[in-house]
Amino acid sequence: MDLQFTPEQEAFRRDVRAWLAQNLERPWNEEVRDPEHDADSLVEVRRRWQKKLHAAGYLAMGWAPEWGGRGAGEVEEAILQEELARADAPQVPNFLGISLLGPALIHHGTEVQRKRFIPKMLACEEIWCQGFSEPGSGSDLASLRTRAEPDGDDFRITGQKVWTTFGPWSNWIFVLARTDMEDRYGGITFFLMPIDQAGVEVRELRQITGEAEFGEVFFDGALARREHIVGAIGEGWKVAMTLLGYERGGSALSYPAEYDGYLGALRKGAEEAGVADRADVREKIGRLVVENEVLRGNGLRTLANLSAGIAPGPESSFEKIGWSEFAQRLTDASQDILGPQAQLTARSHRARADVDWAYQYLWSRAGTIYSGSSEIQRNIIAKRVLRMPTR
Amino acid sequence: MQFELDEDRALLKNATRELLEKESALADSRAIMEEAPEGHAKDLHARLGELGYPGILLDEERGGMGPLAFVAVLHEMGRVAFPGPFLEVAVAARVLAGCEGPAAADWSARAAAGEALVVLATSEDPASADPAQPAATFESGRVRGTKTFVPTGAFADALLVSTTAGLVLVERPGAGWNAQPLTTIDHAQRFAEIAFDDPGELVAEGGRASALLADALRCGALGASATMLGLMERALELAIDYTMEREAFGAPLASFQALQHRAADMLLRTESSRSAVYRAGWALEAGAPDADTLISVAKAYAGPAARSVCGETIQFHGGVGFTWEYDPHIYLKRVKTLELFHGSTRYHTDIAYDSLT
Repeated sequence: MDLQFTPEQEAFRRDVRAWLAQNLERPWNEEVRDPEHDADSLVEVRRRWQKKLHAAGYLAMGWAPEWGGRGAGEVEEAILQEELARADAPQVPNFLGISLLGPALIHHGTEVQRKRFIPKMLACEEIWCQGFSEPGSGSDLASLRTRAEPDGDDFRITGQKVWTTFGPWSNWIFVLARTDMEDRYGGITFFLMPIDQAGVEVRELRQITGEAEFGEVFFDGALARREHIVGAIGEGWKVAMTLLGYERGGSALSYPAEYDGYLGALRKGAEEAGVADRADVREKIGRLVVENEVLRGNGLRTLANLSAGIAPGPESSFEKIGWSEFAQRLTDASQDILGPQAQLTARSHRARADVDWAYQYLWSRAGTIYSGSSEIQRNIIAKRVLRMPTR
Repeated sequence: MQFELDEDRALLKNATRELLEKESALADSRAIMEEAPEGHAKDLHARLGELGYPGILLDEERGGMGPLAFVAVLHEMGRVAFPGPFLEVAVAARVLAGCEGPAAADWSARAAAGEALVVLATSEDPASADPAQPAATFESGRVRGTKTFVPTGAFADALLVSTTAGLVLVERPGAGWNAQPLTTIDHAQRFAEIAFDDPGELVAEGGRASALLADALRCGALGASATMLGLMERALELAIDYTMEREAFGAPLASFQALQHRAADMLLRTESSRSAVYRAGWALEAGAPDADTLISVAKAYAGPAARSVCGETIQFHGGVGFTWEYDPHIYLKRVKTLELFHGSTRYHTDIAYDSLT
């Protein structure tokens, strides 16, 4: 057993820290409070940040050099993400393209597709959004009804996608649509489609945070070209599942690092509010420190297993449940400990400057729903790990 | 990086499992827990002594095997709900080895060899077993005061007693201890309250005594956490096995989603405890600066986790889970006892709070 990073990995961490000190103009928490910013200019901040990361070789580090990566290992990727979280760096606009579509193209795409799409994705010249979920198909994704009907060599897409993160700012969308309405899994095909075309309409979808980062996408006979199918016709489910299973420990340490910052701020806030000596406050925060350290322990174990060549299995479900449910407990505690000031929106007079608690409180409700809800994760654990039977 | 144990420790863990499953299967050890005055099998403790187990926490040259081996062994003992004061004796053997004088060294060696039961007697408050300033005194060569919840109590051959002067080694008087048995819910322990007015030898004082008590707590908390990991791991197996066999409404209980999601949480807590407990053991072995914090994290997490898993195991069994005959209650009782000792959940949670910067 050995949970220590190698000297090379520690050196890599120092490089990342030094680079961040030079290149991150200000933490994301400060950007969002700047009254000069609106939703569009914040996207521009993120776009510039992605370009910087890309130029420094920190984007998609795990990919082979021919696809713009540096063939880095899982541990280096996790260290990078940990440092980015610690520094409160902006999230890159193409995070879904890079985490989901990129691996799909590398594993299942054609050479032509890779050359056409990957460089522009990394350079943030094209922003991608994901067209998987539908109003009637969330957790039960394979029930999706968006149709793809042949039109000469190509296809015409009709249907509706929802929860399309970054939809309002995207140029391209990767879409799961039915080429066969009967075959539940084998009837699904994976299409890449430009958004700016007749028959595609993106509408903003306002979230409980008040933002409209999500969108709804309506397809009404929109064109999907045959050469933009990833994998074969009818292989869309397989492609989507391999990329959903592509979690390689990148976030193993980043959530605990992010939560370290919040916990430190919560303690400071409790001290300033004069409640830090109360036994119930100490116990509540102490409990959260314990749970966050356990999350980090799970992450280190995942990384250690990956380093030892042990492929991650359903334990990524543990990680998902762990960080998403923790965030709800943490932000709920922040309300109880800091009081009404934790409900102030970021630009309010008297809002605490260190963490946007009101936003985090609301945003934490999303984590247990997206990317496989907590219920789906528990189904996976019960069925694939504990082998409990289906009724 | 590597999470798995290295070959030597993995072998030790497997050998320990084989030995305990053969010699201390719960079906047999339950009778000992319930009927033997000492609550554990003396011959098996002696045999473990011959194999060097109680000396596991000593320095390597005295037969110690290091914190990770200790975690692996206690993990296995948890799985079979191993009865008796093994953990407390292993900790006492280590603490005595750090004390002054030939008597302490001798009792350490005898405890490590499984020839004597020696444990620490520190607690004076029936409302809390957490570290506190002792009221017991040592003057003119005599210990005076009352210690409560002394593990293995009246059966101890010697006790290491915390006093205002330091740690005092007290051998069992010829007439036996002035002890009142404290029968608790835990079948596996024989606690006692002991009133001292006995001759003893001061074997550690001042900073040394404080450091040894801190070390005892560190090792005790790590060992208790590892034991709770084994207890919850095995309880979860019992729960899953039962739901696979038992049918209701024409289907195995395991096919009901109401139980599946709770079983998933039980596994999540067990696996998270595994990460936390082995990480803490590794940190202590590697001399990591945050080892003490990580041990507190492990204890503060594994306690509530194990209590929850073992409670659910009773619930999963339904009515038979509430019977004396079925095993789930053994697990819950051990876990709840361990949660209160070696630093309670509240105590270690408070340490975690203080680690926050």
